[in-house]
Amino acid sequence: MTQRSTGTHRAVSKNSTAKNAAARNGAPVRNGAARRGPRPARPDRAADGTPFYLRGEEVTQIIRPVRKRPWRTSSFGSQVWVLTARSLRTVFGNFKLVFFGLLQPIVLLLLFSQVFKSIASLPSMTGYHSYVDFLMPATLVNIAMTTAMGSGAGVLTEIYTGFIGRLRAMPINMFAVLVARTLSDAVRLTAVLVVIVLSAVVFLDFRPSSVLGIVAAVALSVVVGWGLGWLFVAIATWQSNVETMQAVSFIVMFPLMFVSSGYMPIDALPTWLRMVARANPLTYAIDAERELALGQPLDWALPLALGLVAAAALVGSLFAAHNFRRAK
Amino acid sequence: MERPRIEVVGLGKSFGAVDALTDITFKVGAGMVLGVLGHNGAGKTTLTDILATRSRPTTGTAKVCGFDVVKRGDKVRERIGMTSQFVAVDDNMSGRDNLILLARLLGASPRQAKARADELLEAFDLVAAANRKSATYSGGMRRRLDLAASLLSRPDVLFLDEPSTGLDPASRSDVWGFVQRLAADGTTVFLTTQYLEEADQLAHYVLVLAFGRVIASGTPDQLKTGIGKRQVTVTLPSSHATFYAAAALTRERLQPLVDAKERTVTVPIPDAGDIASVVRVLDVANVPIRDLKVTEPSLNDVYMALHRSGWNAQAAGSAS
Repeated sequence: MTQRSTGTHRAVSKNSTAKNAAARNGAPVRNGAARRGPRPARPDRAADGTPFYLRGEEVTQIIRPVRKRPWRTSSFGSQVWVLTARSLRTVFGNFKLVFFGLLQPIVLLLLFSQVFKSIASLPSMTGYHSYVDFLMPATLVNIAMTTAMGSGAGVLTEIYTGFIGRLRAMPINMFAVLVARTLSDAVRLTAVLVVIVLSAVVFLDFRPSSVLGIVAAVALSVVVGWGLGWLFVAIATWQSNVETMQAVSFIVMFPLMFVSSGYMPIDALPTWLRMVARANPLTYAIDAERELALGQPLDWALPLALGLVAAAALVGSLFAAHNFRRAK
Repeated sequence: MERPRIEVVGLGKSFGAVDALTDITFKVGAGMVLGVLGHNGAGKTTLTDILATRSRPTTGTAKVCGFDVVKRGDKVRERIGMTSQFVAVDDNMSGRDNLILLARLLGASPRQAKARADELLEAFDLVAAANRKSATYSGGMRRRLDLAASLLSRPDVLFLDEPSTGLDPASRSDVWGFVQRLAADGTTVFLTTQYLEEADQLAHYVLVLAFGRVIASGTPDQLKTGIGKRQVTVTLPSSHATFYAAAALTRERLQPLVDAKERTVTVPIPDAGDIASVVRVLDVANVPIRDLKVTEPSLNDVYMALHRSGWNAQAAGSAS
């Protein structure tokens, strides 16, 4: 214990009271800095004409620390709002991103509606006006799923750019960062869905039963996308490698999309796939979409889909919040 | 009574079996620049992250502005500014929007945030580029924007993790000037660097980190005179001249070191006056000189010197 202080290294304040305090603690103080006077004489290299933008009293006033904090710490709500607005401005300010973001689902819709057109002749398709009517509700869910994957990728990107690292050293709630991410993606999703529904109506002769029905279907899709977004955000906070994240996302996404009622009526699937499709939560989301968009009688698919989405959001957000804590 | 702005006692951090930091203890007062010097992997960033509440210590305690970094992280974050090793600004936004966004997150109203952003853009000479996307900024401008962002809340303690890495000399001297100005105004600056020259220019006190331990500490001058050494390296036109010069210098007890292949003679010089005596000796001996270079002690020299004096044996002994 007596020699403990030998290994103690101290940078001593020029302030003499701090020095005395250190001396009272019984530690020998190596106060080289203090011996040299209040400010060690250092040649001011900027005086020789180097571009030196920090000069003069005026500038000093701008960066000087003050006794009083300039602002009171922001509330959780305002953090979410500011971060959401930022994401949306970034997304909608980027023309290429908006353009191709909209084009991608349109291309997929065109592709599927043409390639699988003959499915319309199956006996279980008699209730549908055309394959597009059958396909459109599934497309709404598909877009929601893709956007949800994007939420996870977005979180990872911001970890990589260092932006989230900066936020970690600021007096804000890190959960607000994740809430803002899922909210801004939900807004983006709404915009994409509206555009694709209008395109399908105009170009592909998609016939929703009523305006109210299709609005409800779009709303459900937004809720599904938001809930699934939390799952992918949770994956992103757990698995910090972009490639692994994508691999995991695709493994989750493709079977869920195709082994469902999305592209084929379930009755037309092989028996074992039929069982998987019935267990697939997306099937219920897609069925609920169809009921809403095409004016079919509502059954238990809608409450089940909403319940599953709520569960996904809850589990995902708890897991993500746990992983995203500041200090580990 | 003014308390130390940073107070670290017996701090340690391990990642599994790897000890990233071991038994770090120091204090820093207001208006001081603490330089933390070390090679890659020495533990500089780990230490910075713990003090900026981005990571938790395994052992020991750390207080920043009187608040424990683990228990009162929220209070610490209100009082610090942080600039990471890699510039962390949003490339998709303009410099001004970056600052406004961060000011808003810190609690400023929209109007206050704009006013504060404009002030800092002015101070950091970024007004002309204020509305350009920061992706178009040069390395020096990005670093300046990064620094401006870390000063939005007028922090009491500023953490700078290798602020001049990757900057050209002009931008580096900008950063240096800014650190000096800031410290003169009472901000405590915690600065990590790989360059002894940078620590020498800026720091009032230096900790040398290696493998997570403080292996030396002191003012820059103490470190240099105690550990590093200045050298004069003379390049000669022929190998004959090289040995002739070495002989002349040896006669004057200047302990030259000969590199026959490069045709150089290196002389250690404890103080500035000895440069003149090297030149005088060679002039009197009538040796033609092709080149003469004074090299300052480098971080490498510090490490080599510390290695020679057996710090590593000591460190190993105290660990067991």
